[in-house]
Amino acid sequence: MPATISRRRFLGLTAAAGVVAALGLPLLRKEASSAEERPKARYALIIDTTKCTGCGACIEACRQRNKLPEGLSYIRRIVKGNERNPWFLMVQCQHCANPPCATVCPTHATYRREDGVVLIDPRLCVGCKYCMQACPYQARIFDEKRGVADKCWLCLPWVLGGGLPACVEACIPGARIFGRADDPQSEVAQLIASGRAKPLHPEFGTEPSILFYIIQEE
Amino acid sequence: MQTAWGWPIAIYLFLGGLGAGALLIAAAFEFSGKRYQYDFCPTALVGATVPGPLLILGTLLLIFDLGAGRREPWRILYMYTHFSSVMTWGVWLLTLFIPVALIYGFLEILDAFPATRQWLKSRRWLRWTAFLWNLPLRQTKRIFAGVGAVLAIGVATYTGILISAVGPAIPFWSTWVLPFIPIPMLPVLFLVSAISTGLGLTVDLAATLALGSVEQRLKSLPWIHLALIGAETLLLGMMLITALMAGGSAAKSAQEIIAGSYAIVFWFLIVLPGFIFPFVVHAYAIGLGRHSPVSGVGSGMGIVISGLFLRYLILISGIPAAL
Ligand code: SF4
Ligand code: SF4
Repeated sequence: MPATISRRRFLGLTAAAGVVAALGLPLLRKEASSAEERPKARYALIIDTTKCTGCGACIEACRQRNKLPEGLSYIRRIVKGNERNPWFLMVQCQHCANPPCATVCPTHATYRREDGVVLIDPRLCVGCKYCMQACPYQARIFDEKRGVADKCWLCLPWVLGGGLPACVEACIPGARIFGRADDPQSEVAQLIASGRAKPLHPEFGTEPSILFYIIQEE
Repeated sequence: MQTAWGWPIAIYLFLGGLGAGALLIAAAFEFSGKRYQYDFCPTALVGATVPGPLLILGTLLLIFDLGAGRREPWRILYMYTHFSSVMTWGVWLLTLFIPVALIYGFLEILDAFPATRQWLKSRRWLRWTAFLWNLPLRQTKRIFAGVGAVLAIGVATYTGILISAVGPAIPFWSTWVLPFIPIPMLPVLFLVSAISTGLGLTVDLAATLALGSVEQRLKSLPWIHLALIGAETLLLGMMLITALMAGGSAAKSAQEIIAGSYAIVFWFLIVLPGFIFPFVVHAYAIGLGRHSPVSGVGSGMGIVISGLFLRYLILISGIPAAL
């Protein structure tokens, strides 16, 4: 009899530990991310569509830096305008201040850092694809190999180390301008303040907080 | 059109609605006393026993459609934790609904077939179930039927909220009830459709197959069906018109449904079997004063199949907002 009881208790404890782990891991992750540093930076990435030639160097650079399989990138090219006068809209995660992807995520996998960068914790993601449905910019792709959602993360480790996102480095005509919007002297801050650089489709209500666009006049 | 969710999710939404609807009908029979008017009530039996297994099947499909969560199932536990997500509500609803439905079904079997009690009592290894025989069976069953019915309304409505919650990303899914009423239509439509597929399964199909005819059990059945079909036609029509008036990709979805690449699915797999055919059958039954077994089975199957394709159609016709 004691054997059965102890086995039962063992099973009970294991189950309890599982539940604690399940509930605790999201909290732990939150702890970890706020402990690493309290970033006051506010990054901005402005895409000047009047300069963009649609060459796709950013798409390829992103694919390579993030080791994405052939044909997949965090950046998508949309052709706008008309046959005679086409222009290109490069779309990636806009790092929304009110991100629906994080609201609908059932697991805490998608979250927004204090500096506005929206990230996915692949350890928590179950691969339900709800976030892909909820992102009005269709900025998310699915990593079939790991079974998790994936998207632009602003090349955060490079940026925190003082570097640039791969797309910005790769852009030949200089259509991508990266900087800190919290520094009023910076080019990005001035472009945003002057109203030249604007969020894309603000009517979606997601408040893009890092990506801004200078849009071609049609 | 969106490509992230396909058949597994469509079938899951359908099974959720069908199970919830069937349980609601069984509970309605239970509380109205109809269940006890005859010795044997196939409607209550099917409506109580089928939802648990249906929802288990639906949940398995949902898990099957996961990425990392399928390979590492413990990750599914994380899905209980984020309460701003409609999917988290759904996971909780399923977790509560399935056991309640299974117990309700079990109690209904005990009630309908007293022989099962003898069998259970005669097994030595089931002796621990002795406490059951001291419980008042019908009262206990009613508690589970009542709780199950409340959860069923939650499950049926949630299947609509789940996809309308993506808001501006796929505007068709969050189409309002009317252009000036900012309530999403899908939860309402899916709830009504759930009840009508539940009725099709438990009365048209189950009662006809078990008894050869249904009218002796539910005289008002044709009227109820006509009312439900009328309501669904109205709701679906309002949704399509509102989407057309909204313009953009919502209007494009509605156009594809009415006269575009999904028109065949819409007219021949949804409207014909689930609206027109049962409408004619039940209107005829009212005129004739009786139901033929063939029309009962036919309208039941038509309504259920139409419910499945309705979920599929709504899902695949979702077109992401243009950028
Ligand atoms: S652009 Fe899409 S993925 Fe990025 S934060 Fe906004 S909603 Fe989320
Ligand atoms: S796919 Fe992953 S990140 Fe996206 S909603 Fe599901 S759990 Fe969250």
